[in-house]
Amino acid sequence: MSATAYLGGLGTAGAAALLGAILPDRRRLLGAGVLAAVGCLAALVGAGEVLVSGRSFTVHVAAVLPLAGLDLRVDALGALFIVTTAAVGLAASCYAVGYGAHARPGRTATALQPAFLATMLLVPAAASVASFLVAWELMALTSLLAVLIEHRRPETRDAAQWYGAMTHIGAAAILLGLLLLATHAGGQGFAVIASHRRQLSAPLASVVFVLVLVGFASKAGAVPLHPWLPRAHPQAPGPISALMSGAMVNMGVYGILRVGRDLLGGGELWWWLVVAALGIVSAVFGALHAAASTDLKRLLAYSTVDNVGLVLIGLGGAGALVASGHRQLGDLLELAALFHMVNHALFKGCLFLGAGAVQHATGTRDLDRLGGLARRMPATAVVFGIGALAITGLPGLNGFASEWLLLQGLLHGFGTHSAVTEAVLLGGVATVAVTGGLTATAFVKALGVGFLGQPRSGDAAGGREVAASMVVGMALLAGGCVVLGVVPGVVLPVVDRAVAVVDHVVATVPARSAPPVRSGLGLDLAPLQGAVEPALLVMGMLAGIVAAWGLLRLVPRQAELRARRRTEAWGCGREVQTARMEITATSFAEPLQRVFADVLRPDRDVEVTHAAESRYFPEAITFHQRVDDAVERAVYRPVIGTVERWGNLARRVPNGSVHRYLAFGLAALVLILVVLA
Amino acid sequence: MRRFPVLAALRARPVTTPAPPARTHDRASRALRGSAQLRHVDAGSCNGCEVEIAQVFSPVWDAGRFGVRLVASPRHADGLLVTGVVTRNMLTPLRRTLDAVPRPRTVIACGDCAVSGGVFAGAYGVVGAVRDAVGVDLEITGCPPHPSAIVEGLRGLTGR
Repeated sequence: MSATAYLGGLGTAGAAALLGAILPDRRRLLGAGVLAAVGCLAALVGAGEVLVSGRSFTVHVAAVLPLAGLDLRVDALGALFIVTTAAVGLAASCYAVGYGAHARPGRTATALQPAFLATMLLVPAAASVASFLVAWELMALTSLLAVLIEHRRPETRDAAQWYGAMTHIGAAAILLGLLLLATHAGGQGFAVIASHRRQLSAPLASVVFVLVLVGFASKAGAVPLHPWLPRAHPQAPGPISALMSGAMVNMGVYGILRVGRDLLGGGELWWWLVVAALGIVSAVFGALHAAASTDLKRLLAYSTVDNVGLVLIGLGGAGALVASGHRQLGDLLELAALFHMVNHALFKGCLFLGAGAVQHATGTRDLDRLGGLARRMPATAVVFGIGALAITGLPGLNGFASEWLLLQGLLHGFGTHSAVTEAVLLGGVATVAVTGGLTATAFVKALGVGFLGQPRSGDAAGGREVAASMVVGMALLAGGCVVLGVVPGVVLPVVDRAVAVVDHVVATVPARSAPPVRSGLGLDLAPLQGAVEPALLVMGMLAGIVAAWGLLRLVPRQAELRARRRTEAWGCGREVQTARMEITATSFAEPLQRVFADVLRPDRDVEVTHAAESRYFPEAITFHQRVDDAVERAVYRPVIGTVERWGNLARRVPNGSVHRYLAFGLAALVLILVVLA
Repeated sequence: MRRFPVLAALRARPVTTPAPPARTHDRASRALRGSAQLRHVDAGSCNGCEVEIAQVFSPVWDAGRFGVRLVASPRHADGLLVTGVVTRNMLTPLRRTLDAVPRPRTVIACGDCAVSGGVFAGAYGVVGAVRDAVGVDLEITGCPPHPSAIVEGLRGLTGR
């Protein structure tokens, strides 16, 4: 049943891509969108059944891939990622119908989204090295093409170049690592590899882990492998960027878990300390840049780097705790990390769809040119607001639930381990605290500058509410945020099944005895101290609001109060209130940029043009500011510069002369003969 | 004693004259009850009145003794202390400031310009005296009014 539903969903998503490519102009969007949504729903049901029942299924299709055949196996871990992807995909497919209604995207653009979706549904199900690599590469290629949909803009092409290069360097590292693993295991099926993990020598396992970590971390957007992410995500169309940020970065997390914990069996302590350290750096760096960004989608993209960092902190901490023999605590942290990943997919998908709606309605995503959208696009503002509150981690929404679990897991890990592990866990706690504040800054800015106040440009003033299908898509994800936030205890046992799949083979690790959380409505750490009931918190808040409203209604007012009058807010008596008097995103982030100038490296140019008569009278003052990526500047630019120089040198070698090419051929032949002899 | 003015000052009786009869004819004055928080509005003054108002709140005249204070926001004020003719540019800000003062409220026109337009009456860009723009409760004349005149007017307001 679950296999049928999942495969049917996969097929339907593929059919949606086909339909998008062949249907005539008018029907194309609707046909592809509806079919893709149905496919997502079917995959959601199929994988959801695996998650709930805990029974995995295996499918082997010999005819699809030559030589190896396509091996699929959906266990609870893969099912969790499929469910997450399908949920974001369902919303994005609904949304895409309205999103493309005016622009009328071409066949390629319409077909790409379901195709991308189908490959992402395929990756967590792949059960052999060949199947996995093919699915991974298909996902990379379809997403690369999807980024290139608006290829007429030079910045899109630039972003795609970065993305293409980085994702393929990552894919090469994964290929190398998995091939090494398959060669030593003597088979390419994941089951074969997993059964041979005890025979693997420690140095080889470490080499494999580092290789796949490079590949998967670059897909997940962990610092320092992130520069493609804040370029590619903003340049992609709205639904695609939601899919990339909500679903595709998760595949990096999936890869680290699948290979590190499942295929390699957990391995050594330092692997996971490295993962957690990557997470800490990513979280702080991403949160800082999100707080400083003025481009709405770039802000969201950096916030993705931040949240991936939090997930990696959880995974790294979990791996480290399990590797040092603390199964229960490790499981708790892993549960927190996976739950945060699911939540991130929901709220970031919602936010990216909202940002896409803003761009669709106003034509800009520069926060300094937005404003006043809450009146013009009330539905979008509400769902974006829910997403922003969720990502900030306020109680009653899902971000709070998973960040609370993450903090509990990190804090309970103290006093049990080596100094290094404790230092990393402490760093994790500090990071969660710091990024919480920075994320709040970033989203107060996004919501306050983008949606409240007066419009800062004609584009923003002309914004109108988007189509109903787009609102439905966003509302689906926002509703998910609310449900998971109010009753997280309902979902946690299901997520815990994915945690239970990931086993550990080190002899010192005790077997899993009990789930790390008690089932119920709220969050309750079973053997440890700590419980919170978000549902009660929400009911308390609602009761308070109702009580305050009732008091105002019921208590009889004095005559003076009845004579209340409405006047304007006091603005020092000024006659006009223009948008130029409002705070902008740039000015909101300015103090933070000043404090963190070493990391953010703001570039400022102030140009003053003087009047011809006297230097004392400026004619025009222009101010430019650009926040540069410190990692990109310090690491990538020199490397790219060197590669370009060598490339230009190599260009002189083939000069078009046939004689020279013949000489090359002769030299190569001689060389081969010398080497072979 | 005459050679030591400080000692003489210590022996001297307070120079304050008895309080004038409290104004009771309007609701605002009755509601003030011995304390008036005023927001100053320069509607187009030459700053002569401002110099004298600064003196009023200096240690020499010290209107604070009689319960008068200048406040920064009309939201905190019981009334407005308006100086100067009302210029065209200041008409709306003056009205908005008055609108921001909670009721009951009082408006004091301070100086000849505020009372009647003074030397600027009928000039370009001038709307008129304060009473041409908003209702006035108390007028203090003089160009500029002597600090003691302003203090006397304000004491009439607070009744102290």
